[in-house]
Amino acid sequence: MLIPHPLLGPRDSSEFSYLGDASLMDRPDGMAPDAAERFHDYVHLRDNPAGIHRELWFHEQGDRSWLVVTRNTVTHEILGAELARDARKGGAA
Amino acid sequence: MPDLQPTCALGAPKPKTARFGVLTVTENANLALASVALRRDAGAPDLPLPGPGEWIEAEDIAVFWIGPDQWMVEGHGRAADDFAHAIAHRALGCSVTEQTDGFAAFEITSDAGAEPIRALLEKLVNVEAHCFTAGQATRTGFHHMSVFVIRRADDRLAVLGMRSAAGTIWHALTETAGRLEVTA
Repeated sequence: MLIPHPLLGPRDSSEFSYLGDASLMDRPDGMAPDAAERFHDYVHLRDNPAGIHRELWFHEQGDRSWLVVTRNTVTHEILGAELARDARKGGAA
Repeated sequence: MPDLQPTCALGAPKPKTARFGVLTVTENANLALASVALRRDAGAPDLPLPGPGEWIEAEDIAVFWIGPDQWMVEGHGRAADDFAHAIAHRALGCSVTEQTDGFAAFEITSDAGAEPIRALLEKLVNVEAHCFTAGQATRTGFHHMSVFVIRRADDRLAVLGMRSAAGTIWHALTETAGRLEVTA
């Protein structure tokens, strides 16, 4: 399986390690009044879609950047990859 | 005064070298290394800054890209100097870290042009060998470790890995180069 690294081109998936759902980047505010409830959801509740899934991959044996990879969990087709810090900038706006 | 003797990464007082047909593998004990990382609000360093996957040789140093906003600076023959200190003066406001003693460097040269180097790349590392031309550098997996691979020229390749694994890297390089000699 090849992951299209946005800076380095196609790289073997064995160079990467997998973290999980890309929504993990949106960490709740620990100082909010309902922080306990929001952290419960953040830590324990995940969507488990059969189909398109955005997930975090770490280029451990490479440039050590975090990527957001869009993958189809049914076919394992990789539909795209972007740097997590770019995705985060886009998501925060 | 204690009688201290500097030791190379492979444990001998002198760097090791081995020859396999047209390929020569040599331990490079004189390579100084320092990493440079940009800070969020700081200016750019006074250094050549190659793009992703690239290596540039400048007058007294060479630089390769190691990650977003991060580079490794090489000083040939300067392992005994305070290299990171010298680089820090050229990278004000950046994070500069001494890396010389963390790595062991191996230089591979070919007497028969690019082809033996390409054959070695195909055996050793997970990069597309025909695209990995002079001026390219990357970090990739190598015998269950990770190493930096630099194509310094068509007939020259460098492998930089963890100093504590120098013996394992040497074994992998010499074993593979030796097998290529048999099949050539």
